[in-house]
Amino acid sequence: MTATAREGLREIERGIPGVSRVRALLRLDFSRDSNTGNTFLAGSLQEPPLKVVRAFTLQDGTALAHLHNVSGGLLGGDCLALQVNLGCRTSVQLTTTGATRIYRRRGEFSPTTQGNQVAVGEDALLEYLPDASIPFAGAHFVQRTSIALAAGAGLFWWEILAPGREARGELFEYEHFAMRTCVTALGRKIAAENICLRPASQEVSSLARLGPYLYSATFYICCVGLDASYWRTAEDRVRDLTGSLSRPGEILWGVSSLVAHGLVVRCLARHGRDVLPGLHTIWRAAKLHVYGREAIPPRKVN
Amino acid sequence: MKPGPNQNCFSAPGDLAYLQLLHLADSALPIGALAHSFGLESLVSAEILTAGELPDFLHGYLQEAGILEAVACREAFQIVEAQRPDFSGTRWIEINDCLSALKPARESRAASAVLGRNFLQAALLLGDFTVLREAREASLQATSLIHHAAAFGLVSAAFAFDETRAVLAYLHQMTASLVSACQRLLPIGQTETTRILWNLKPAIVEASILSASCTLDEVSCFMPLLDWGAMEHPALATRLFIS
Repeated sequence: MTATAREGLREIERGIPGVSRVRALLRLDFSRDSNTGNTFLAGSLQEPPLKVVRAFTLQDGTALAHLHNVSGGLLGGDCLALQVNLGCRTSVQLTTTGATRIYRRRGEFSPTTQGNQVAVGEDALLEYLPDASIPFAGAHFVQRTSIALAAGAGLFWWEILAPGREARGELFEYEHFAMRTCVTALGRKIAAENICLRPASQEVSSLARLGPYLYSATFYICCVGLDASYWRTAEDRVRDLTGSLSRPGEILWGVSSLVAHGLVVRCLARHGRDVLPGLHTIWRAAKLHVYGREAIPPRKVN
Repeated sequence: MKPGPNQNCFSAPGDLAYLQLLHLADSALPIGALAHSFGLESLVSAEILTAGELPDFLHGYLQEAGILEAVACREAFQIVEAQRPDFSGTRWIEINDCLSALKPARESRAASAVLGRNFLQAALLLGDFTVLREAREASLQATSLIHHAAAFGLVSAAFAFDETRAVLAYLHQMTASLVSACQRLLPIGQTETTRILWNLKPAIVEASILSASCTLDEVSCFMPLLDWGAMEHPALATRLFIS
């Protein structure tokens, strides 16, 4: 599996010019303790700057792990891979300790690349709840994520894209931001998103893209095996919520059924501060609806 | 000098193919294209999209969704050539599944699938094409949707149209359908819509050119505002369009 993750990373790097600075892999393997029913971190491979200090056990037996990057952010030339494997009937929550800062690329270095490969085993559940990604001025970032869901597997996965360091007036000054995400269930694609933004040559604020909004977020809610009528009902319920969270001109929320096995929520916002609380609200409601359990917000280290 | 009755008046087989392509790419082809706005109705209803902003919006649309649809059209076209004479449904299903996954809004996805199914059905009535029958059968067996762009590419290859002309024709009818929807949603007259569609032709050509240099796995499409419009369309109290 390690080789597979590295191969994935090499695939991203192919065709990307420049010098790599740091190549690192973080692999996390989660298993279920048959006596307690709790999930634990059964094995890991951690190459700096990527680090998980420990996995905490939440009150429902879920393992919570914080993804650290001890270099403080993603630098030009970084070539990073994350591989997460959830065994059968495990429950895992992954989060970051803060926003992911993507620094500018210096001339001689290759673009920052991040490859994520996630396998969610039978009847397992992964909750991936990171803070926003912030591409700084001059950043050049390429991310590829593949998520494979087995029978009965569940997923709550969001990503938030910021326009830059908004507080200092730095909006869409990054060079290149590419993010490709693919979710498969039982080997078949159920969701995919291919974003490629080059603000210098594209009008990001076109109504065909973000319009007047600065932040965007995508949230996948999946549970393999539940049929289409179930998800239509779930879509209607979540739409009641997204409707109440939307404030035209400030923040918009939308929800739709995927082609199978889940929902996708889209958010566009003028301010980053509105996005995470909204995602948490929808996550809590969706988890209760799909799993009949309360969502447990991740403890943050800072 | 004007040619005589037997000189160049009824010429190459290419002329017939050209007329057939015009027919299949006519936005008035009765497959249901005029019933869908693909999220535009929500944007207009929310007063996000106005008549003055329409040309820029459509230009951006062609740079994102236009290229994506054009790539799908090309790839479906190419599987007929690559697999002649034995068509295998595997790649056909992959292309359509990929499009389904890339279309996050249920209504827009369903609209594309209705148009694709109707288009393929209409083409099957125009001749005996084994590849089209097999494609339809493969989709049914795999419970896979048939998207309009993919169906257009496949049918165009079956009719032996030129690939690039087929892609251009597909993009043109797609844009014309959107302009038509906007004509019903926004205060825009016929002269203005003619001018808008005319001025978009270079962008259509550009989208077609760019689509030739990437694959469905590589092509990007980032239209979160329109996705929102399509996702929230079912919640509109009064609707002119199905999607």
